[in-house]
Amino acid sequence: MPEPVLEFTDVVAGYGALTILNGFSAEIAAGRVTTLIGANGAGKSTVFKTLFGLAEMRAGEIRLDGEPVGGLAPRALLARGVAYVPQGRNLFPTLSVEENLELGGVTLAAAVRRARMARVLERFPRLAERRAQQASTLSGGEQKTLEIGRALLGEPRVLLVDEPSIGLSPKLAREVFATLRGLADAGGVTVLMVEQNVKSGLAASHRAIALEGGRAVLEAPADAILAHPRIRSVFLGGHVAQTVSGRAAGGA
Amino acid sequence: MADLVQLLVSGCATGAVYALAAMGFVLLWQTSGTINFAQGEFVMLPAFAMLAGLALGLPLPLAFLASLVVAALVLGAAFKRVVVDPLVRAGVLPLVVATLGLSLAAKHAVRVGFSAEAQPFPQIFPEGVWNVLGVRVSAADVGTLLVAGALLAALHLFITRTLFGRSMQACAQNPDAARVLGIDVAGMILATFVINALLAACAALLVTPVWFARFDMGEAIGLKAFFAAIIGGFNQMRGALLGGILLGVLENLAAAYLSAQYKDGVALALFVLVILFRPEGLLGRAEERKV
Ligand SMILES: Nc1ncnc2c1ncn2[C@@H]1O[C@H](COP(=O)(O)OP(=O)(O)OP(=O)(O)O)[C@@H](O)[C@H]1O
Ligand SMILES: [Mg+2]
Repeated sequence: MPEPVLEFTDVVAGYGALTILNGFSAEIAAGRVTTLIGANGAGKSTVFKTLFGLAEMRAGEIRLDGEPVGGLAPRALLARGVAYVPQGRNLFPTLSVEENLELGGVTLAAAVRRARMARVLERFPRLAERRAQQASTLSGGEQKTLEIGRALLGEPRVLLVDEPSIGLSPKLAREVFATLRGLADAGGVTVLMVEQNVKSGLAASHRAIALEGGRAVLEAPADAILAHPRIRSVFLGGHVAQTVSGRAAGGA
Repeated sequence: MADLVQLLVSGCATGAVYALAAMGFVLLWQTSGTINFAQGEFVMLPAFAMLAGLALGLPLPLAFLASLVVAALVLGAAFKRVVVDPLVRAGVLPLVVATLGLSLAAKHAVRVGFSAEAQPFPQIFPEGVWNVLGVRVSAADVGTLLVAGALLAALHLFITRTLFGRSMQACAQNPDAARVLGIDVAGMILATFVINALLAACAALLVTPVWFARFDMGEAIGLKAFFAAIIGGFNQMRGALLGGILLGVLENLAAAYLSAQYKDGVALALFVLVILFRPEGLLGRAEERKV
């Protein structure tokens, strides 16, 4: 397994009086697509939010290339090459495609920003064709593509994407997954995503981590999980721990 | 016909000043959820700051510049820090109450500490009336319209054509997404408070020569700014512009063709009509927030 680029060690985090992550530990392999799976409310998004300071980290450590990064501001994380596409809608609806894209580079020098915008538009021709259009008029798939493209403006080494396929048709979802997989395979980007659409999400992933009760209960190659009918049925049912932990650990 | 043109010009001039105050009002609402019921006093206080500067012997342009600085610091930054930041988490209502209280306190402080009488204020435009193709327009109306129009245009260009302005829009539309992109959301919100204070000080420069400086001079403009924002669409800058101009023009027409007594009722009547038939405002859309 390649070197871990991002490591979570016994992370305890939550919101106010609520504790959501309860000793979450995981190692995210460099240049791979890793998918976090788990039931609604298991704390998948909270993993990302903790790294970006949107949830409070109470204990534990998050390291990037061995350096602690817990509590860093988004600006500092971006400067270290971590970008984040949160769950849900993240565009600025009345701004144009190009203006949305540009805001992914507010921390960059103007010339660098312009050059990278051109590169992203080249990579996603559908966005280039619609560059002057209001973001709110894009289709769901185009909007997600724009969010991902915007995150790429920082040329991240680590890309966090929360539920990229939500609301997309299976075909569009596969396109988005293929984009993410391509970033890892061709660009060496480490992709960590959360996905409810377990089957096609895992098909595009190298590894998977299952979350339950605020902990990682399983870490395994994605195809091992996909091939395991019992595990698959378990994920649909939403209970991971009792049935799965330990059993699939052998595949890790 | 000539009369009508004259009424329209002076209505637009007054309306553009309402729009200045209304724009700031909308900006604050959009980026921070603050409804500032002391907006009128944000116009009145710089007027007295300018008078204080004049009393110290400063020429009006310098007194105006000084009032801009004071407004930015006190009505912009300090207002945000001391009044808004501690209360904004608790929702809209505590802030409404606090700004209403602030409005009363400012009025009474000026009345007791300075004077209850209207204070004369130097004219900023030449007196007199021009005759343009048979239409008589006052130089003050034309000057006010030009200056307010230029300020509104500059604000529009700043917000739509600069990265800073678009970052402000981003913070208004989706603060979480903006934060994650490394946009300094707190800084952008502070910027809107400072811009609001500067707009109010500019409005003060434009209206005080006409209305004179008085502790309660802000009541009318604060109310009209609020009405203009609602009438045009609370979530749109263009709405504040439309609402302001519409109010200024209709007030003038009502005063001329109906009775001067109806003038102040116009804003209320229009407000009620909009609330009844188009609560999102003339240009507003139900869901979207736009700077
Ligand atoms: N800002 C917040 N304040 C308080 N509680 C929150 C907040 N965000 C999330 N939670 C709670 O934390 C728990 C975990 O939420 P999280 O979003 O991490 O789950 P998730 O695994 O991503 O779920 P989903 O699959 O539905 O997106 C939930 O019970 C949720 O209600
Ligand atoms: Mg989630």
